[in-house]
Amino acid sequence: MATMKTVRMKVNGVTHESEVEPRTTLVDFLRGPLALTGTHVGCEHGVCGACTILVDGRTARSCLMLAVQADGAEITTVEGLATPEGLHPIQQAFIEEHGLQCGFCTPGFLMSLVELLSENPDPSDAEIKDVLGGQICRCTGYQSILKSVHSAIAKLRTAGVAAQPPLA
Amino acid sequence: MAVKIPNSIDELPTSSPRFIGHRVKRVEDTGLVTGRTEFIDNVSMTGMLHCAILRSPIAHAKIEKIDVSAALDLPGVVAVVTGEDAAKWSHPAASSPDGWGTYCLPADKVRFVGEPVAAVAATSRYIAEDALELIEIEYEPLDVVSDPVAAMEDGSPLVIEERGSNVMLQRVFNWGDTDAAFAAADHVFSEKFRWNRLGANPIETYGCISEWDPTELGITVRGAFQSPSHMALGRAMTFGLPSNKVRMIAHPHGGSFGGKGGVRGTDVSLLLSRKTGGRPIKWIEDRMEYLAAGGSQAWDRRYEFSIAVTNDGIVTGLKVKLVDDIGANGEGFGAISAAKPLAAFTGPYTIGAAQYDLSLVATNKAPASPYRGMGPPPHNFALEQMMDIAARSLGIDTAEFRRRNFIPKDAFPYIIPSGNEYDSGDYEAVLDKVLALSEYEKLREEQKLAREQGRLVGIGVASAIEPGVFDWNAYAVVGVQGTGVPEGATVSIDILGKVMVRVGFALEGQGQYTLVTQLVADYFGLEMEDVSVTMLDTASAPPAFGPGGSRLGVAITGAVLGACDRIRVKMCKVVAGLMQTEPENIQLMDGVFGIPGVSEAQMPMAQVAGTMLGASHLLPPDVDPRPEATHVWTAAGRTPVDEEGRTKSYLTAAHAVHIVLLEIDPDTGMVEIQKYVLVDDCGTRLNPATVEGQTQGSVAQGIGAALLEEYVYDEDGQLLTSTYMDYLLPTIHDVPALVMGEVVTPSPFSPLGAKGCGEGAIHTTPAAVMCAINDALVPLGTRANEVPAAPNRLWKLIHTARENTSSD
Ligand code: FES
Ligand code: FES
Repeated sequence: MATMKTVRMKVNGVTHESEVEPRTTLVDFLRGPLALTGTHVGCEHGVCGACTILVDGRTARSCLMLAVQADGAEITTVEGLATPEGLHPIQQAFIEEHGLQCGFCTPGFLMSLVELLSENPDPSDAEIKDVLGGQICRCTGYQSILKSVHSAIAKLRTAGVAAQPPLA
Repeated sequence: MAVKIPNSIDELPTSSPRFIGHRVKRVEDTGLVTGRTEFIDNVSMTGMLHCAILRSPIAHAKIEKIDVSAALDLPGVVAVVTGEDAAKWSHPAASSPDGWGTYCLPADKVRFVGEPVAAVAATSRYIAEDALELIEIEYEPLDVVSDPVAAMEDGSPLVIEERGSNVMLQRVFNWGDTDAAFAAADHVFSEKFRWNRLGANPIETYGCISEWDPTELGITVRGAFQSPSHMALGRAMTFGLPSNKVRMIAHPHGGSFGGKGGVRGTDVSLLLSRKTGGRPIKWIEDRMEYLAAGGSQAWDRRYEFSIAVTNDGIVTGLKVKLVDDIGANGEGFGAISAAKPLAAFTGPYTIGAAQYDLSLVATNKAPASPYRGMGPPPHNFALEQMMDIAARSLGIDTAEFRRRNFIPKDAFPYIIPSGNEYDSGDYEAVLDKVLALSEYEKLREEQKLAREQGRLVGIGVASAIEPGVFDWNAYAVVGVQGTGVPEGATVSIDILGKVMVRVGFALEGQGQYTLVTQLVADYFGLEMEDVSVTMLDTASAPPAFGPGGSRLGVAITGAVLGACDRIRVKMCKVVAGLMQTEPENIQLMDGVFGIPGVSEAQMPMAQVAGTMLGASHLLPPDVDPRPEATHVWTAAGRTPVDEEGRTKSYLTAAHAVHIVLLEIDPDTGMVEIQKYVLVDDCGTRLNPATVEGQTQGSVAQGIGAALLEEYVYDEDGQLLTSTYMDYLLPTIHDVPALVMGEVVTPSPFSPLGAKGCGEGAIHTTPAAVMCAINDALVPLGTRANEVPAAPNRLWKLIHTARENTSSD
């Protein structure tokens, strides 16, 4: 058995400290010991984007990171988007504009968009595509996702809130 | 009394439907956007172990020796299984054609790269994978056959020796006097086409948790099943179990598109469960496993097409020769994809005679599986290229050429030469609309200008039929048995008038739980929130198949409306008893039962349900007091095949015409789609938003097929595209914005007049894109007959053509 390492990270505002094998990927750590199964695994080689999360506010492919690399980090997963009061505006927009079918890719898309819209509240189509070019959806053909993004932009503007959930 | 299932929305017991036919929000979505939906890999069970599978690195080899002792010594490893266990506890898999299945772990030899040879159950997936490295296998390589044409020759290495040949099936079908049509033709055009392997690639791979029950001698498997009942039947056969001892619990899954696969992994994990005395074994296929050996690969085809044409541009005959590379065995049921084209062999055209010369061939490649569209997309691609070849040669515009050959709208229902019946359609109206929407004349003018500037701009016009609501009889010619595909639903109303609908399939992405909710809410005058949908496992569900073959929207509509009608009849009896009249006098409208026109004789549905369940003293004597009913729907009028394979198979025939404008960059061979316009007719649209979603997603897959996606094998049978770095799925950059329009000719045969539309555009898109590419290449005098038209292929065609012209 490999030597265990202690990692400490704040995930969706909750601090966790655990022993992990150094080879444990971050996505396996989140989905396993932390039971945050909303982050999905589609390829485990960095192409599909299903596993996208925020690490210190920046998107990362959690299949390509080790849990030990996230030691000390603040992490947001899809479970961190909604509050007890309701869904995040980007989540609402995806529902309203039929931005998903099977929904397996959706958490990754949402996390990518949280980053994009928090940095750039009014992106052009080219900027949106540039960011979403790294997320694969096999179901929708992307048109409804683009519509969802536009709806999310409008919702955030109306509500006057930033896309990124505040890091607790 | 016969159950009454409305054939149109107007016949629903509502004065104005509030949900059916409207773009309602999906009931599935909140769970999905919050990450709460329970995909199979989210599930853990007490005592659960993790399975990893060791796979063959060689395409064809004898297994000389397997030594698992070091793996078993690794702490955390609980069991290892090999071909010996499979031979002891299981049978070769069911297959199409029959008799081409193999064991889930072979004892004697491997037949393709990625074939499972051993598997480990351990306390974690990491340990299980470590253990794989400790298993020692000695292989003796055998000659590999990876080319189906070579595989058909005498003396070829045999993939399955016992069969004595690699030819799985060879048959020539003749429908009408094709030879006479060709003899009488003014023109005959012939061309060869190559469609390379591609496949489904849902973003979630397959996964399951398998349990062998040593006391009941049965199995329970939780998993990402597209069709749980079908999986259950297959497992009963593989493990020699009575079918009532096999229970499948389907979980929501991240897409399937026909290619979820999972049979081998399920069987391997079941062997491990048996070996560990019944521990639950989780097997989650990883992406590289899926690509190499999952339900991933489909349609590896070599075609020869000929058409007979009159001077007026009427196509009178069609001959198709197909060599279909099915891979190492028939367990993936990829062969059904060669049978399905019979359901729309001659497309939307009046072609009166056709011949199909079909060879299914085994090679040392992964077994072929189904993929969305189930076989017609390559056939349509080739047929549509032939239409263009003929049109150009006769100097007729390609859109006009199709118009001349369309089945006229007053000819429906229309039986095509290969036997299927098309229910309804107005193909010219679809064409007219798409021509108008695309401003076709203007596009042709723009193209003319572009050509004058030497640019390779092309316009594709393609038209195809989407057979909807499959029947098993459609696959009889490749050995699949049965007529009818029952789909059941149970509608249950509680004492407060709230409804639970139980179905036999899990979420997959098409929004079918939403559809069920819409139907029941409109039928009983409820809000959508008053209706819940839940899935039953195969031990408790009514007969059900689930999604596939563009069937579920229509089939579940039939099942749900049938169940609602049965409840209505019961409730009418109750209400008639209370109102002291005959049940025939009671009508349901907008959620209220009563005597029409008598305002004091009205009872809301919830009150009727409350009476049935909570006031038995008020009920008439012979009434069944449960406000609950099950209905099992299957398409009427399906028949067994005749001696030429003809039958009424698919119930509905949706139709579409797509127009594509694109430009090829001669320096890179890259294609840019500049305009994509389509009009389709899938009958009544039950939820227009989900219909659009299916269409858009299917266009994307069709573009992937035409331009990007390909499983490449070398001659040693090594897969060269084993990751998503090499197997290219369309991204948001590859899929254009669509202009879409619709024509609606309701089906006279189906519930609410809806036509199957789940497969959608993939029937037409690859054909349309390839028509446009070939249109762009006309000035160079060359053609692209191979799919995908990847940049390397187009570049080569363009440069060879230019060299030829410059050296002339
Ligand atoms: S699972 Fe991480 S990118 Fe695909
Ligand atoms: S919704 Fe299924 S992969 Fe995107």
